Amino acid sequence: MPNAIELHGVTKRFGRQIAVDHLDLQVPEGTIYGFIGPNGSGKTTTIRMILRIFQPDQGTVHVLGKSNGTVADDRLGYLPEERGLYKRMKVREILRYYARLKGFYQCNAEIEDWLERLGASEWSNKRIDALSKGMAQKIQFISAVVARPQLVILDEPFSGLDPVNMEALRSAVLALRERGTTIVFSTHDMSMAEQMCDTIFMIFRGKKVLDGTLDAIQAQYPADRARAVLSENGALPQLAEVADVEANGRVLEFRMNNPSEPNHYLRQLMQSHTVESFQVIRPSLHDIFLRIARPEGYVEPDQSSTEVAR
Amino acid sequence: MRKILTIAWREYRAMVATKAFLISILMMPILMFGGLAAMSMLSSIGELKERRILIYGVEENPGLFESLQAAAEQENARKRQARETTSKATSNPRDDFASGPQELFNLEARNEQLDDAARAEISDQIRRGELYAFVELPPNLVTDNSGAGFKVNFYSQDSSLSEARRWLMQNLNRIVQESRLKLSFSDEQIHQIERARAPIMVAGLSLVERRGEEIQGAEEKSEMLDIFLPMGLMMLMFMVIFMAAQPMLETVLEEKSQRIAEVLLGSVSPTQLMIGKLLGTVAGSLTIFAIYMGGSYFAAQQRGWTEHLPLHLLHWFLLFQIFGVLFFASIFMAVGASVSQLKEAQSLLLPVWMVMMLPIFVWLLIIRDPLGPLAVGMSYFPPSISTTMILRLATNQAIPQLQLFTSLAVLIVSTLVIVVLAGRIFRVGILWQGNVPKFNQLLRWALRG
Repeated sequence: MPNAIELHGVTKRFGRQIAVDHLDLQVPEGTIYGFIGPNGSGKTTTIRMILRIFQPDQGTVHVLGKSNGTVADDRLGYLPEERGLYKRMKVREILRYYARLKGFYQCNAEIEDWLERLGASEWSNKRIDALSKGMAQKIQFISAVVARPQLVILDEPFSGLDPVNMEALRSAVLALRERGTTIVFSTHDMSMAEQMCDTIFMIFRGKKVLDGTLDAIQAQYPADRARAVLSENGALPQLAEVADVEANGRVLEFRMNNPSEPNHYLRQLMQSHTVESFQVIRPSLHDIFLRIARPEGYVEPDQSSTEVAR
Repeated sequence: MRKILTIAWREYRAMVATKAFLISILMMPILMFGGLAAMSMLSSIGELKERRILIYGVEENPGLFESLQAAAEQENARKRQARETTSKATSNPRDDFASGPQELFNLEARNEQLDDAARAEISDQIRRGELYAFVELPPNLVTDNSGAGFKVNFYSQDSSLSEARRWLMQNLNRIVQESRLKLSFSDEQIHQIERARAPIMVAGLSLVERRGEEIQGAEEKSEMLDIFLPMGLMMLMFMVIFMAAQPMLETVLEEKSQRIAEVLLGSVSPTQLMIGKLLGTVAGSLTIFAIYMGGSYFAAQQRGWTEHLPLHLLHWFLLFQIFGVLFFASIFMAVGASVSQLKEAQSLLLPVWMVMMLPIFVWLLIIRDPLGPLAVGMSYFPPSISTTMILRLATNQAIPQLQLFTSLAVLIVSTLVIVVLAGRIFRVGILWQGNVPKFNQLLRWALRG
């Protein structure tokens, strides 16, 4: 499958600070590619280099077959996080404006189609500052895709949305992929990334730390988490040699410091509780993210004895 | 190019298709010329004010009070009549400005001698608003032909600025001189003296124009026009530049704070974006100019003043306006891109404002001597070229062609330099999310990009 985006040995510096460090990346066409990474890790810089807003100091950036240039390709759409719309412009005007900036002049039918699809038709003559946050986010999404791009970069497209609007946008993103559009999806919502992305890429301190499918990424990490379902709410169990404990009702999850001996942990639980089920699971993307991005010097909770807080 | 025009059209619409634009189009002239208009309006509306004035020392100056009173009645009648015929279709704008305060003089004769206590008592009456002023005539004002200087005391709360005092001085001099002449000369002799002393008017004329074979005679010039026309054009230039540059600042700030710039720069290059924005701003400024010019022409036509409109300066005005707008809009754009909030922009813009307003502080000096070193010097100082040059051109004095074209060349070159430097600041600043950059940092962006 050809790649929509290819980065080879890309480095970007701002003064003495290296924002992106020898980054290699291939985003196959027609996939949803998740960009994750903590704030300040180089995610936005990478996106801006793909958009041609920044030029790399080293390396090459190929986007839709074109190598380094100074202006973004018209086949590329971009949705910045939350903002990106003129407050005093009307919905239809701003969509027309953004479509024309992408060289798509006969855009009225496409605008009407998207407004209809996302249930925003009745807002088309309203000013942006009169819209709710959810509606503005929908309009912003339309502005990114209205020019029928082959590649769309979405930065936190679901932030601040209620479940109904989130589902509407999620369906729209999936529909775009069905149409063959490549989607780069930057997010801090790990569960959304797990659900939607075919491939996930994580950048940390300017370097690539993860790149692959969720299965492939999870396979890199030992199955060191345990999930136990207790029969009743009650006093929390005292567990030794665990970390990253999460309690949710009767469900308890923790990381085993000695994953080769799960029975050791099961026995500890059974000493104080009735255990309905006990399962060794692979770390979630959230866990993996935390393991990588946790600040240096961070002290793990007391591993010899941890009381679970509910 | 089409994308640049798309950006220009949005910028243009964002500037002119707003309520704020309409309001500012109306408000700017009111704020700038409001003082003059208010003076003119206030003098022509409302009641005529009656000024009750007590004249002391009447008995020792026989006939003088009667003559003064007759002059006052004549003046009052003239003012009443002028008020009734309010259709002020005057042929010369000077008449409107020269009409002055509208006061009626009510003179009352008094014979008592005043001492300090009496003066204090009358002063209190003035303070209480019972009368406006009192005057002490020295004895033998009319009969004394010795040539000794006399001083008449006029007491009022606003005596130094009083219109009544000025009127009294004029008429008292005239009446006393006539009376004194009558004591020594016959009517025929007085008549001869008056003819000999007939005033000579020195008329201010424009230069004679040569249009091909035809020679066009000189025209009498109006002092008011010579003062207010250059000032008006200068203020118009300032307004147009201000009204075009300020929205640029606000738009760039919005684009930066709302992350619109990232979307735009994901579609066009920073240079395309900047050119589009500047084009839209220039188009907006031309619209402002067209509205004001159209309005001025209509108003002038209504009053029969069209001959006074400086239509021959139109092309110069447009040239200096376009480059002036580009010059300042670029600076405002760079400032907008460098800050995150309007209040941060204000401190950076203060020096820009100061140089922009420089000609407004010295306009009178420039029109008095449009070829002098101050006027010429400011014509070569880029931020003040547009306003200074239009001020100088409007004086109708022949500005040397070399100065005119050098000044225009300096403006064009400096505008191009500013556009390039501002563009570099814009490119870096628009994505800058840190602290407000310091001046040396801005300079580094401008020089290195």
